[in-house]
Amino acid sequence: MSLRESNRRMRLRRTGIIPADARVRHYDELGEETQVTVRELAGRPRTAPEADDLDDGDVVKFTDYYEVRAR
Amino acid sequence: MSDSYVIIGDGIAGASAAETLRQEAPDAEITVLTDEGESLYNRILIKEYAKGKLPEAPISIHQESWYDDHDVDLRLNTVVVDIDVANDAVHTHEGETFEYDSLLLAVGGTPQQLPVDNSDADGIHHFWTFQDARNIKESVEDAERAVIVGAGLLGIDFAAICGAQDVEAKYLMRGDAWWRYALSEEGAEIMHEAMRERGVDPVFDSGVDHFEVDDDGHVEAAVDPNGERYECDFAGVAIGLNFNTELVEDTSIETENGIVVDEFMRTTVDNVYAAGDITTFNDLVLGEQAKNGSWGSAKEQGTIAARNMLEYGSDEFEWVSSYSITHFDFPFLSFGHPTIGDESVEATTAEGEWRRVALKDGKVVGGVLIGDLSPQSAFKQLMREGRDVSDQTDLLMEPGFSVDDLAAATEQQ
Ligand SMILES: Cc1cc2nc3c(=O)[nH]c(=O)nc-3n(C[C@H](O)[C@H](O)[C@H](O)COP(=O)(O)OP(=O)(O)OC[C@H]3O[C@@H](n4cnc5c(N)ncnc54)[C@H](O)[C@@H]3O)c2cc1C
Repeated sequence: MSLRESNRRMRLRRTGIIPADARVRHYDELGEETQVTVRELAGRPRTAPEADDLDDGDVVKFTDYYEVRAR
Repeated sequence: MSDSYVIIGDGIAGASAAETLRQEAPDAEITVLTDEGESLYNRILIKEYAKGKLPEAPISIHQESWYDDHDVDLRLNTVVVDIDVANDAVHTHEGETFEYDSLLLAVGGTPQQLPVDNSDADGIHHFWTFQDARNIKESVEDAERAVIVGAGLLGIDFAAICGAQDVEAKYLMRGDAWWRYALSEEGAEIMHEAMRERGVDPVFDSGVDHFEVDDDGHVEAAVDPNGERYECDFAGVAIGLNFNTELVEDTSIETENGIVVDEFMRTTVDNVYAAGDITTFNDLVLGEQAKNGSWGSAKEQGTIAARNMLEYGSDEFEWVSSYSITHFDFPFLSFGHPTIGDESVEATTAEGEWRRVALKDGKVVGGVLIGDLSPQSAFKQLMREGRDVSDQTDLLMEPGFSVDDLAAATEQQ
């Protein structure tokens, strides 16, 4: 399972600046369910339940760079 | 039970094995030997560094302190030159010997050089390590014109690097399409157009006959077999890998385009395992021997190998791999083994969206998705289930395809 037992929801915000201390994850490193979530959220003003292989502040490299915000 | 483990290679396969061994055997002695000068980093992000999009720091995965914290003896800059399977020992270039109860070979491959004149000139690059990425970045930043050779998944990284660094490039391909074994011309054209938009011009029915160099030995041009000359001050060559099997050549470990392992990642020698790109493994999904060359698969194989090193037969490798290209404003994904099969179906499902599925004996064995990756999970599921879809291949091309769309009658097993 790649969904956390938490009520936090995440969204992805396109970002151009990648801080040196950010954890950057390539799409191919993510579990299949997280990949689905990334595809659904990337570039869209939507939220989804937080995936367990991504954390608030992570940056995902998909067709662009996206910062994970989880609340 | 074995309690001394030696791992050769600190790529993702070797490192995930070390992590698993430490988690599941807190008292084990674990040694990791690597000929690289740095510990585990993210090989699939080094292209982003070379493009100038990412700083160095986020590419590191295991700092050296990770090994201390996990009581793993890491030896950098250490080349293993010999494996003595009779005496359970490996020897390094500096004459050191490491004995093991159980050994893991996670040694990957080495990029092939073009067998043409001047293929080792300055300015001609291959791409595998972080150090290669640093050299590529430095060289491409000073370049004006580039030539790229190798119409596959690594060659396109060179194209993206040239595009991102504003270097005009000619991408010399032998056939009439990029990755022609997995894509048709129609699908490949979407990729060609994306390259052109970034200043990278695909040149078909071409290749390299030889390189020309200037008086300092720096590449000056590539000349193709038709006699066409392409001036360049940077060249990227990605024509394939030689798997690092020479280490086991004098042993009884079987090789076949890599090191042969069973589904438990064990070689033909009982206490020697292999994982990652180096393996030719018993693919339970395909029902025959296969090779994977992707991050996710190498990581999983490292984990599975470690579990079986602790207890043989405890966990088998059953996996459908995938590999994406994220350089363009649309996504690209290949899954399974898209270059094999006895039949294929393909379709343009919307503007800029294309897919092709390869089948063997009526079952999905791999494919490519461009633009719309949404059927990725469904196709992987069909592969895992070994469903015969021969009568319904047209459904696979429906835009919103889901496994439930297939008639229940095709369910097998
Ligand atoms: C530029 C690039 C981009 C890629 N992009 C993607 C991508 O987007 N998605 C994807 O899924 N995959 C991608 N891949 C492929 C992926 O990185 C590999 O499949 C994966 O990293 C293989 O891991 P491994 O541990 O099996 O081998 P490796 O990472 O090659 O590790 C093997 C290690 O063993 C060491 N070694 C070899 N021989 C010896 C010896 N005799 N003594 C000591 N050490 C030795 C090597 O130096 C190396 O460090 C890419 C690869 C490259 C190079």
